Formats: sequence, structure tokens, C-alpha cells
Amino acid sequence: MSELRYAYYPGCSLHASASEYDLSTREVFAALSIGLDEVPDWICCGATPAHNVDELLSLSLCAKNLELAEQVSGDMAVACAACFSRLKFAQHVLKEDDRKLHQVEQAIDAKVPLERNVKHLLEILVRDLGAKRLGQAVKKPLSGLKVACYYGCLLTRPPEVPQLDDCEAPTIMEQLLHAVGAETVDWTHKMECCGANFTLSRPGVVLQLSNAILDSAKAAGADCIMVGCPLCHGNLDIRQKEIEGVYHRSYDMPIFYLTQLVGLALGVPADRLGLDALIVSPQRLLRERKLL
Amino acid sequence: MKKKKMLLSQETMDIAMVRKVESLSGTSVRRCFQCGKCSAGCPMATFMEHPPNRVVRLLQLGQWQRILAGRSIWYCASCETCSTRCPNKVHLASIMDALRKLSWDHDGPSKESYVQLANKLFLQNIRTYGRQYEMRLAAVFNVKSGQFLKDMMLGPKLLTKGKLKVFHQKNKNMAEIEKIFSRIEEMRRKGEAL
Ligand code: SF4
Ligand code: SF4
Repeated sequence: MSELRYAYYPGCSLHASASEYDLSTREVFAALSIGLDEVPDWICCGATPAHNVDELLSLSLCAKNLELAEQVSGDMAVACAACFSRLKFAQHVLKEDDRKLHQVEQAIDAKVPLERNVKHLLEILVRDLGAKRLGQAVKKPLSGLKVACYYGCLLTRPPEVPQLDDCEAPTIMEQLLHAVGAETVDWTHKMECCGANFTLSRPGVVLQLSNAILDSAKAAGADCIMVGCPLCHGNLDIRQKEIEGVYHRSYDMPIFYLTQLVGLALGVPADRLGLDALIVSPQRLLRERKLL
Repeated sequence: MKKKKMLLSQETMDIAMVRKVESLSGTSVRRCFQCGKCSAGCPMATFMEHPPNRVVRLLQLGQWQRILAGRSIWYCASCETCSTRCPNKVHLASIMDALRKLSWDHDGPSKESYVQLANKLFLQNIRTYGRQYEMRLAAVFNVKSGQFLKDMMLGPKLLTKGKLKVFHQKNKNMAEIEKIFSRIEEMRRKGEAL
């Protein structure tokens, strides 16, 4: 296998509420012999709050991270869909707008690496490594597991920024899962918003939107949902019990990070994938499918 | 429900401000022909008194204050669906950002103080620690918004799952981060920045 090596930007959530995403990412990359060097002293990308009220700050925080990433080689590997979107947005805007670029360079007192490739983990696994090579590394195919792939908003929108896949009907997650032997379902809500960062200021909105997503996945016959974003994960997993209570439903729908499912297929031991950190326990489902 | 007529007057028309929104967002409101596709796909439209297409219409008519006085911009989740689907490439999500910045700069007249508060605390965290620590963010938010018991049931569960970090360190490059914030403030004082 040729050498694949990336500059890893975990982002804040992966060092806290989404630590299982971080753990499973490192395990999967190690199992596939893909190098991962963490960007030294990376800072918060500013996420939604920064671009919501202060674009210049948002652009500058992202530019600073791109600059910090110059200390390690390889394309940037980003796990969080929101960080991924912000970093790509910053490059996109700064390439088009000289005035903003000038102000950002003044703010960070450095040139902004506009051409550095920023990639989401999905791109790395499905395109750089390739579905075929991923398939060859599978030790325990996820056969019989029916997964609803949830893209959410920021992996694909707006089309000119992430350029990850089609903005209305993406299939990159499905490709990933087919490579590791799982089944995927067709469903209505794979691109709908979960309420994202309103989880703090307006939980009621999140409950309503996330309920619609869980409901759609259940109706399509999915056993579980796969995500690539800690915010989506928090809303669908951490708040699921609350949603069930408010809407008098029973979902019991495990929400996996993509690296947890891939890790299982690659034969990474379950305790190295942070499965016990999930609030909706996947134990019963995985036992039934003989995956644990 | 009785429908209130929306009255527009020339007195409240302020095109200069609308030009500012256009310049901040890098998009032109004049392109919009009111097809309504943005609002049809907006997950938040049901929570807004002015759905996205009307926000653009109000801007075309210079009525930006009417938008800022309402809650629509603070209910936008930045999901980018509107920008993705607009046939005229009106980048509505960026317009929402620009309007929020205007409102933020004027510190009102928004009614949506919770979202403002959450944003403010989030940015303060970056300035103080370099990274986001969710536990601190949530705790301070609840205290400041007076909702001491909000999500209290979630707390212990998240702690035992290792999802909340109680102890955290500051980044080593805090001085550089502080400089980014202060340089931006400096540029703004001199009127050289957005
Ligand atoms: S989709 Fe575009 S053209 Fe249609 S109403 Fe919305 S902003 Fe206007
Ligand atoms: S970005 Fe905001 S206004 Fe646009 S569709 Fe999403 S929530 Fe609605």
C-alpha cells in the first residue's frame, strides 16, 4: 500500500463530548496504516457562533488553523462536518475576496495557505484509500446491518464549498458502508437539518427536527443511523431519550460515527471504538447481528 | 387568525444599510425574483415570522429594521439549504450572517437574547482557552440565562460516559490567539475592517 499521511484536525468536540469519534478515527487509521499527525496547538474554528456574528473573526480563526497545519505534512484530515465546512468556507471566501484576505492576513499576521487540501474523513476513506482497498481490509463484514446514512447540512452544502459529493443526493456514505458489507436504506431525511447548535439555546427546536429524522429512519426500516458530525450525533443520540418522551415514541436507534462502523468491520476490538460512550446502547443490535 | 397587513413606508426605507448587507455577504438581493424556493426548503421557516424569501423582499425594499426587530435571523440554523437551491444564486445563508452581524454590532434590537448569549459565551471561551469546553459553555449559559436546571438530567449521564471534560487546559499559543482578537478590534477602531 502506498503511503497515505494526513495532518489531523480533530476539533473541539472530539476532545470532549465526541471523544469516541476521535478514538475510533485513530484506531481505524492505524488499522489501515494511514498516518495521522495532529496539528500542533490547533484552535477552535469558531464554528457557527463566529460566522453568525463576526465573519472576520471566523475567517481569521480558520486561517490560523490552516497556518498551524503547515507544521505537519499531508492533506488536512477533518472529522467534524462543521469544522470541515468552516475551513473550506474560509478558503473559498478568501480566494474570491481580496479585501477580506488582506484583513485576515493582517489579523493573523501571516499568509493564508489557500491551496492546502482540506478533506473530510469520508473522502479519505472512500476516495484516497478507495472503497476497493477498504473492502480488502475488512475482517468482519457488517452483513445484515441496515444503516440510514445521515449527511446533515454541512458535508455537502452549499455545493461550491465542500465539493464532497452531490448536494441533493450524495452517496459517499453509502459507498463507504457497501465497501464494508453493510446494507443501506433509502430514506427521506438524510439531508435535513437536525437543529445543530440550537441544542444549547433552543432545545425545543432540536427536539422537533431530530424527531422527524429518527422517525423517517425508523419508517425506512433502518437498524441504526451513521453520522459524520458530532453536532448531529449529540442531537440524535444524547437527546434521543428526551425526544422519545416528548413525542411519545420509542426508537431505540443507535447512532454511530462512521469510524465506529468501519472499525467494527476492520476487526478493531469494540472497547477501542468507544461504543460504550454512546447513550443509546448498540449492544443488543450488534449482538443480534453477531457483530459483537 | 386575523391577518395583519404589512405596511411599508418610505420613511423606514434605508438602502444604504442594505448595500452594507450586500457587501458583507458578497451577494445581491436584487437578483431575487421571489420564487419562494428558499423558504420551501428551510427547516426553520415555521419558526420565523419572516420566512427567508420575505427577508430578501424586505431588504429589496430597504426595510432592514423590520427584519432586525423580529426573530427570524436568530432562528436560522445556517443549514445552507436556501443558498444551495436558489435559482438566482442569492446566497441567503450569508445574508443571514450579515444581518446577524449588524444586529450584534448594534447589540439589539433583537429579542433573541438566548442565542446572542450563547454566541457571546462561545466566542469568549475561544479567547480565554483557545478551544471550546462544552461543560463550561453549558454551565455558564444556564447560570446567565437563569435556567439553572436546564438539561440537568443529561449532566451526570454525560459525565459517566466521559463526554464532559471537567478539567481543561489552555492552549500553549494563547498569546497568538489573543493577538488575533485584539488586531481585529484595532482594525475596526480604525475603520479598516468589516
Ligand atoms: S430561492 Fe432565491 S430567487 Fe427564490 S425567493 Fe429565495 S432568494 Fe429569491
Ligand atoms: S440557512 Fe437559515 S434561512 Fe437558509 S434554509 Fe437554513 S435555516 Fe433557513
